[in-house]
Amino acid sequence: MRIVTRLRGVHPSVAIAVNALTRNRLQTGLTLLGIAVGVATVLTMLAVGAGAQRSIEQQVRAAGLNQITVTAGNWKPKVDDTGAAVAHQADARRLLAAPRPRRVLLPQVVDDIVLASHPEDDPMEKHDHPLAWQRLGDLEAGLGAAATLTFADAEAIRRLDGVQYVACGVHANARVFHDDKRWFTRMHGTDRQLLDIKRTWTLKHGRFFSDGEQDDAEQVMVLGQVVAEKLFGAIDPVGQTITLWKQPFRIVGVVTSASWVVRPAPGDDEFDAVYMPYTTTHRLLNLSKLNDITVTAASTGEVSALSKRIAALLRQRHGITDTQPDDFTIATQATRAITTGGLPPNVAAAIAGNVRELERVTLEQLAGTLERASRTMRWLLAAVAAVSLLVGGIGIMNITLLSVTERTREIGLRLAVGARARDVMRQFLIEATAISLAGGIVGIVAGIVTSLTISSTLQWATVVTPGAVLIAFGVAAAVGVFFGWYPARRAASLDPIAALRYE
Amino acid sequence: MIAVRDLEKEYHVGDHVIHALRGITLDIAAREFVTVVGPSGSGKSTFMHILGCLDRPTRGHYLLDSRDVSNLPADELARVRNETIGFVFQGFNLLARASALENVELPLLYTRGGALRAAERRDRARRALAIVGLSDREEHHPNQLSGGQQQRVAIARALVNHPKLLLADEPTGNLDTDTSHEVMEVFARLRDAHGLTLLVITHERDIAAWGTRTIDFKDGRVNLDREGERVAAPTTCAS
Repeated sequence: MRIVTRLRGVHPSVAIAVNALTRNRLQTGLTLLGIAVGVATVLTMLAVGAGAQRSIEQQVRAAGLNQITVTAGNWKPKVDDTGAAVAHQADARRLLAAPRPRRVLLPQVVDDIVLASHPEDDPMEKHDHPLAWQRLGDLEAGLGAAATLTFADAEAIRRLDGVQYVACGVHANARVFHDDKRWFTRMHGTDRQLLDIKRTWTLKHGRFFSDGEQDDAEQVMVLGQVVAEKLFGAIDPVGQTITLWKQPFRIVGVVTSASWVVRPAPGDDEFDAVYMPYTTTHRLLNLSKLNDITVTAASTGEVSALSKRIAALLRQRHGITDTQPDDFTIATQATRAITTGGLPPNVAAAIAGNVRELERVTLEQLAGTLERASRTMRWLLAAVAAVSLLVGGIGIMNITLLSVTERTREIGLRLAVGARARDVMRQFLIEATAISLAGGIVGIVAGIVTSLTISSTLQWATVVTPGAVLIAFGVAAAVGVFFGWYPARRAASLDPIAALRYE
Repeated sequence: MIAVRDLEKEYHVGDHVIHALRGITLDIAAREFVTVVGPSGSGKSTFMHILGCLDRPTRGHYLLDSRDVSNLPADELARVRNETIGFVFQGFNLLARASALENVELPLLYTRGGALRAAERRDRARRALAIVGLSDREEHHPNQLSGGQQQRVAIARALVNHPKLLLADEPTGNLDTDTSHEVMEVFARLRDAHGLTLLVITHERDIAAWGTRTIDFKDGRVNLDREGERVAAPTTCAS
């Protein structure tokens, strides 16, 4: 009973139980193993379930369902009687028909006019070209062109509850050069946090620009996959120099899509694009306004509520009275999906404006698909867990019965010195539970290892939550009590005289 | 201390009814040292089991310390065994994997209101071992002790919860003659020093001679009930 000596301080029944288990080490070990397999499977099952849940969340985030875009200006398409947008094209045609005289502001652009004669090459130019809709601060232009959003607005939004990431954006069309190659693409002056918002992005080469580079407005650039291929082919362009607005930019990284759903393609605005810190754009173009602010909500269900809070904040900041319209536009993935879903714009606007938690609809569709996929896996694991727990439980019953038989005289003695039936019963229940709990602990460790292995080899997301560990432990305890009951009952109902005489 | 009236015990084995006790009536006063003798199957063990509250009589009454314990529920009987009675067995019945001290502590795990605190259990077990003269063997395990020493550990275990009645079933059955008398001497000393009432079953005449009273069982009845101060106490062993 050396163990009992060491265990002084714990309840004597526990000490006796632990001690008794060391009598049949091999049997105890094997029984423990059976329970461990069962508990490990239970834990893995729960981890796969929780992993699927988290995958759903991640997929939802990746799909941008928690994304809110605040755009400067409040441009709405003019609609005809059928609700079809007509104004945009009509205006474009009108402007093309009557070009305005051009003013040139940057001398170097004039020098370079042969090479870069496209109107977009001069960012300070007040364009009349139809592609110049997005010209910053141009009040004549449409959505995103109004100079109403500032960096201070972005910082105020960042401080709202429920906001995860904020990235401000300045956008323009741009022509970039490398050696004798040129490519007409989109320029995004953006924030470091854009990489966190764009969950489907991965860096093919290098890195995204750093906080320091953003703070110092350095001339660094991250290329989209398409731009990198067009200008550099298969070569890693990190460290090379690229020219925009006659300014040299050091390339620090190349972004591409991590998802097979989205492949980089020319003209996609995401990977056929170049990214620089918005501070750099502000410095070079001498700007202070933003085209848009991209916000992600910490929780997908919060998107509607957060949109409302952002709207209220910006109205207050911009001093907009109740009777005036917004000078910005807030769009979420859900409202966008509805307005591009073939509905007449007025109907779509009515739905988007009045259906609360619209994003949940799309969320549930996604959730359904992933849930079905993981359910098969969970059922399989549940079956394995049930079988191994049953086998383990029978093992516990067996070893406890063995223990009762071996210790019949001891039980008789304990009864003779005053133990009640319930004391004996408790003794053997503790013994059975001790095995199952020891098996449970081993199983929890094994389950965590298995879950990690599944994650790394099968690429199947698994999450071991504290709750799951608690459940696994609870299952182990329940198996011990359930399968220990019968042997314990038998021990407790022994006749003390017969037990004392037992050979 | 003990009052037994018309005590009967029947066992049913298949269709047969075995009359182990056929009406016992006797009184045992406090501080008596009773030895019980008789052939196998005479009912002396059954009698002791009923006195020890390990069994209940089929008919009749058993008053222990003026309390009728004949038909108490099992848990009450366990409490009586724990608080009033100490047992010593022929085969010692020590836990092989526990030290002498831990063996003696055993009854203290089942005291009223739960097990005593470890320190108190240890303290009381030490004192009980000192009474039987085994203070220097506290940490020894049963296989490191001689037969006589093991039986003295068992006696210490019987004493540890301060019982009034000590029951011993063939306590010297596994011991040689000298050791047997050593053990009986311990019993005699306990009766003198601690005022215990003793009931010892034996089939050896010279062991029975240690008693102040000898009851002879035959066919479930009292055959002979002799009183006398230490009928044949061997002077060599008496202190």
